[in-house]
Amino acid sequence: MTLVKEFVDGTVEIGRAMGITLKYFLRKPVTNQFPDEPVEVYPRFRGRHVLNRYENGLEKCIGCSLCAAACPTGCIFVEAGENDEENPVSLGERYAVRYEINMLRCIFCGYCEEACPTNAITLEHDFALSEYDRWDAIYTKERLLKPHAPDHIKVRSDEVFVERYGWGNTKDS
Amino acid sequence: MSDLVTLKIDGIEVSVPAGTMIIEAANKIGREIPVFCYHSKLSTVGVCRVCLVKVGTPGFDRATRQPILDVAGNPVIRFFPKPMPACSTPVSAGMEVITESKESLADRQAILEFLLTSHPLDCPVCDKGGECPLQDLTYAHGRGESRFEYQRKHTSPKKIPLGDLIVLDTERCIICTRCIRFQDEIAGDHVLAIENRGRDAKVVSYTEPKFDSKYSGNTTDICPVGALTSRDFRFKDMNKPGVRIWELTNVPSISNYCNMGSNLVLGTHVGEIRRVMPRQNELVNEIWLTNKTRFGHHFHSSSHRLTAPLIKENGKFKQATWEDALSLIATKFHEAGEHIGGIAGPHLSNEDLYLFQKLFREVLNSNNIDHRICLNSAIDDDLAYEIGVGIGTDIGQLAENSAIFLLGSDLDEEASMLYLRVRGAVRRGCHLINANGRYTKLDTVANTKLRYNYGSAVHLVLGMTATILDEGLEDKNFVYARLEGIDKLKTKLQAYTPEKVADITGIDADIIRQAARDFAKAENGIILYGAEAGNDTALHASIRNLALITGHVGKKDNGVTAILPHCNSRGAADLGVIPHRLPGYHPVADEIGMSAKEMLQPNHGLQAMYIVAADIVGEVVTCKSAIETTDFVVVQDLFMTETAKLADVVLPAKAIAERDGSYTNLERRVQVYDPAILSPTPTCWADWHIITAIAGRLGAEWTHASADGVMQEITEQVSLYKHMSFENLTKPISLERKRQHYIYSGMSFTADVREGVQWATRAENQASFFELKFIEPENDMPQSDIILVAPRVAYDGGMLISQAEILANLIQQPKATLSPSVAQRLSLSKGDTVQLTSSVGSVALPIAIDGKLPDNVVLTPRNLAGSVAEQLLDGHNIFIGVKIVH
Repeated sequence: MTLVKEFVDGTVEIGRAMGITLKYFLRKPVTNQFPDEPVEVYPRFRGRHVLNRYENGLEKCIGCSLCAAACPTGCIFVEAGENDEENPVSLGERYAVRYEINMLRCIFCGYCEEACPTNAITLEHDFALSEYDRWDAIYTKERLLKPHAPDHIKVRSDEVFVERYGWGNTKDS
Repeated sequence: MSDLVTLKIDGIEVSVPAGTMIIEAANKIGREIPVFCYHSKLSTVGVCRVCLVKVGTPGFDRATRQPILDVAGNPVIRFFPKPMPACSTPVSAGMEVITESKESLADRQAILEFLLTSHPLDCPVCDKGGECPLQDLTYAHGRGESRFEYQRKHTSPKKIPLGDLIVLDTERCIICTRCIRFQDEIAGDHVLAIENRGRDAKVVSYTEPKFDSKYSGNTTDICPVGALTSRDFRFKDMNKPGVRIWELTNVPSISNYCNMGSNLVLGTHVGEIRRVMPRQNELVNEIWLTNKTRFGHHFHSSSHRLTAPLIKENGKFKQATWEDALSLIATKFHEAGEHIGGIAGPHLSNEDLYLFQKLFREVLNSNNIDHRICLNSAIDDDLAYEIGVGIGTDIGQLAENSAIFLLGSDLDEEASMLYLRVRGAVRRGCHLINANGRYTKLDTVANTKLRYNYGSAVHLVLGMTATILDEGLEDKNFVYARLEGIDKLKTKLQAYTPEKVADITGIDADIIRQAARDFAKAENGIILYGAEAGNDTALHASIRNLALITGHVGKKDNGVTAILPHCNSRGAADLGVIPHRLPGYHPVADEIGMSAKEMLQPNHGLQAMYIVAADIVGEVVTCKSAIETTDFVVVQDLFMTETAKLADVVLPAKAIAERDGSYTNLERRVQVYDPAILSPTPTCWADWHIITAIAGRLGAEWTHASADGVMQEITEQVSLYKHMSFENLTKPISLERKRQHYIYSGMSFTADVREGVQWATRAENQASFFELKFIEPENDMPQSDIILVAPRVAYDGGMLISQAEILANLIQQPKATLSPSVAQRLSLSKGDTVQLTSSVGSVALPIAIDGKLPDNVVLTPRNLAGSVAEQLLDGHNIFIGVKIVH
């Protein structure tokens, strides 16, 4: 008796397991074929920093060092210079001569973005920041200023985010 | 002391002298009232209105003139209908003050909002950001959000250069007039003013060059906003990128340019000095710094610094290791035997100087050491040991009952910090007797101006002494208890009554008499004397007599101070870097050594010379041959100076900010400085370290491993310095004193307050006894219609200051300054060149014309590039008769 029961139970379990396998076999896979296919991130995902410019080409950064002051890991280094009035780099008197971020130290907390009085530094979405040389992990101002929109990142729209987590929906919370 | 008035501030009772303003009474009990225009060091104007508080006084019944009492028997307080400015409302008995009433909080908010209508919100790029009173007060009392549209703000020009050093941003300025009051009241340079009214009001300077003041940097400290900023710290102006103040590491230090030893804070960032700020020391520099100190720090980071030992081979310097250099020095010094001489610059620290004399006296067995490089540093000053100013002397606090007798010194140029303090004392009512042969800046405030003929200062002092003895104004108790030889002095002085000296000094006898009375009658008296009075034993003896018979010695706020030229001239004399004295003013036991003057004669007979931190050739070009003829010369310095170029071995030393040590200022106050940055290369050694290494090669077993340790030995060996251990010198002052005297407003940093330690003079020992000495003055007055006077100036041709690019335009070029009438007589105009000929030499100089000079004087500063004045002087005095030829 026990032998027959064990056989039947085993068959049923195998069948159930295979059913699950079959179910997921037919579903769309969740694995992302990175980097062949882009990765979707949420709009507020905090990835690699960029330095922004105004539409007229002037740098937004005024070299005030407030990001460096706010940074909890001390990974930002700013040296300011005085703008040439004829040929300014940024608005106002001051601009950043050097602006460096040590990405090995950065914890992507976003305090720099919050401290910035001109929205010059923002945390964008790139997360693939590995380097072959540790020195390359120190991002210079030139690198941070360069438009950076890698193919392997896709930003979800805000609607998806709101839909899923019900942001702004007071009933939900 | 004036009467005390008791009032209540926020319910706390406080008693203050009558006439005190509410704000000072509030500060006393720790109530902080916000201010912009008020500054405790400046007069009150009450223009910013941010200190408004609610004030009430007890009500009085008009009919009975009695205070109105309530049911409980307490006086009824009647509050003024409008708030009162705390900075300019004096206290009165029974007054009640509410600092944070609803009305005053609303007023503060309104004032701040109003100020911000014309103030740019550029804190992120403003140099003051982080230590700005306006920023702080807006955080504390502001609305938080503006009702004003940013686009409609009032805008004014930004970045207006005021001279080479200061930049004005009129948009940020809130017209508090602190800078103007500083210049008028403290510095005495009336170079700033407010122009226009209302919205158009702005700070202007019309002098040429603009903002022409040696003290202008202080206005950037006291400016409550970022309107005045220093060009040195601003952005990239001086080839250095800007940093923010919170990124700086602040290290306490001492000025190496200031003979008062101004306390300062070095703000360093990534191993470089970025700014110099004053460190408050009420006994030395209060909260001020001279521009020379503030902007002259650039030599530390100069690319011309020596970085490795150099040995001369076939006329060319070759880099060497310390090992080789020290071996060579040891061999040569050994060979030279007793034919060796040493000159140490008075910029060295006490530790270096002590070890330097120890090396010569104990290891090389020679007394041939000196720090007085010819006339440049020479005031032979033995008076400090006996009757130097008393411990705790605070010239900044001298008031009505005091007198200062300033003899033969232009303090503004020679001791700028002392100038500010003497000026402050005069403002508080101290009687200043300014005796000099020409106009000096302190004449504008001096109560008595004495204009003597050059060379007759000693007669003036003798005339004053004679008057005091004649009229019986001497301090009889002091004379009776501690002096000897007064009768002898009286007889000798009969030949020097004011009438008799009036002729030679050129000063009216009555004026001499009055000056003598003023000085003798004052409760506290200080004599300051400089090189323009002369430099002979007769003068020093006469000054000593004057101080002794008036009893102005051996106690606080009394005594005699020589205006020594360098930051540690006093320390060099204290620690025996002088041929005839051991450390602590003990006479040498054996033969007296050669002085610098003798060593620098062409036929000095020395085989080896060790020159530390002294650019002898740069200062006195005529000494070149003496150094050239010496077989073996070692120069230890920061730069390849003219002297170093002649050396056989050049050793790289550490600059002041790269090491620790101590300086003794001209009031005998020993102060310590901390290391702030690293030297350019590890092969730069501290001076005491190099001296120790040389001594080690010569067989001495010294074990010094730190400046601290050297000072420990000094405390054991030199009784004057027994309290000067670093532990004592770095001890912060008592909390009580700090509360009473220290403000630190508008500075983001707090550095230790150290006041330094003074050593006691002989007069301070109440059992000490003095013999009055009289030395007959030799008549060495220059026999000529025109006298060349060669004082020191602040912006000199020295190596260190020349590294500061920002000060380049201020450094004076050699010139002969004449009075207009002399120029007219010789038909000269500005820019012409004249030939000056004295009994010693002859030089050609371009001329300048100064209406304030007397007609018989030509002025040529002596510490300028090329040392032209030294070529005309006879090595005895800094004035000499000359002939002028067009």
